[in-house]
Amino acid sequence: MADKDVVFRVKRYRPERDVEPHYQDYRIPYTDDMVVLDGLNYIKDNVDPTLTYRWSCRMGICGSCGASINGTPRLTCETFIKEVRGRTVVVDPMPNFPILKDLVVDFDDFLRKLHEVRPFIDRKEEKPLAEGEYIQFPEEIEAYRQQSMCINCMLCYAACPVFGASEHFIGPAASALAYRYIRDSRDEGADARLDVLSTKTGIWECTFVGECSVVCPKDVDPAGAIQNLKVLASIRQMRQLLMPKWTRR
Amino acid sequence: MYPWKRRAGWWLRNPRFLLFQAREAGGFVSALFGLLLLYMLVRYHEGVASYDAFLAMLSTPVALTVLALLFAFVMVHALTWFLLIGKAQPIRFTKKPLRAGTVFAINIVLWVLVSGAVLFVVFGGL
Repeated sequence: MADKDVVFRVKRYRPERDVEPHYQDYRIPYTDDMVVLDGLNYIKDNVDPTLTYRWSCRMGICGSCGASINGTPRLTCETFIKEVRGRTVVVDPMPNFPILKDLVVDFDDFLRKLHEVRPFIDRKEEKPLAEGEYIQFPEEIEAYRQQSMCINCMLCYAACPVFGASEHFIGPAASALAYRYIRDSRDEGADARLDVLSTKTGIWECTFVGECSVVCPKDVDPAGAIQNLKVLASIRQMRQLLMPKWTRR
Repeated sequence: MYPWKRRAGWWLRNPRFLLFQAREAGGFVSALFGLLLLYMLVRYHEGVASYDAFLAMLSTPVALTVLALLFAFVMVHALTWFLLIGKAQPIRFTKKPLRAGTVFAINIVLWVLVSGAVLFVVFGGL
């Protein structure tokens, strides 16, 4: 039973009528088992149906409901209202992205970057079906398992001050996913990915703030993946400089 | 579509961002510290009088305060990088990499040992 109330201070931006974003306050009842997404749904269902935000699974799987909650990028479906400090839950759209409407931001730039790093198993030649599946040992799966947990929620981009300063930076999630496929024993597309990642706007822009790994709801550790990619890119560059062509893979 | 605008002072709103900025500033200050040591060699090369004058200048309260500040930034830079080493490049002796905290502790121990060895040599231990 709802015996407490809380103020939701939500950033609003309706392009058809607002010149710039502004906050709107809603006082709503809540119980200890309610997450911030439940609060937003309560507002939309009972107070203000014009409020716009993304959500889908309500269980931290789809990665749709990211927002800045009291200044920290988080999934609204995984953040309990009772955990938020103070009496006011301040909900902003995810930082570092252009706002389409209210809490909905534009992800097109990320999708383009994701496409560039070839987020799929890339083989020069597929073996015939008759030869069966590509078998992997547990340690081969372990090599990329952590990065394969990425749900493309974009919280890492919202937390990254380097991406905030330079939107051209390829960013944490795209880099982590590139690393995930490079480490996959079935994949043969490492060179193509490192070509993209080693450019001026690639992994070398990362200054290792590490906030992407702090906010990641799936413990993917994009910051660690980027540092490992830097090592792989450096080894590849040294090989190209020092080794004869026939010795390179 | 409303474009994103980063607010001034963004790095003051998150303690981890503040520490990051201190680490980056510490890198710049470390370079300044290195230049100071190189200049000390130049003065040493010029002779005893020049070197003593430079040391006297470094001993003034203002210079000591500046040096203490520079040293604090160098310490922040070193310690924050020690914290990151285990994350930047996982160190493996077994299947599982060492924890970042363990790598930090190893770096601190090595740092103390190397500093002790340098002090031992500088103060005539050998």
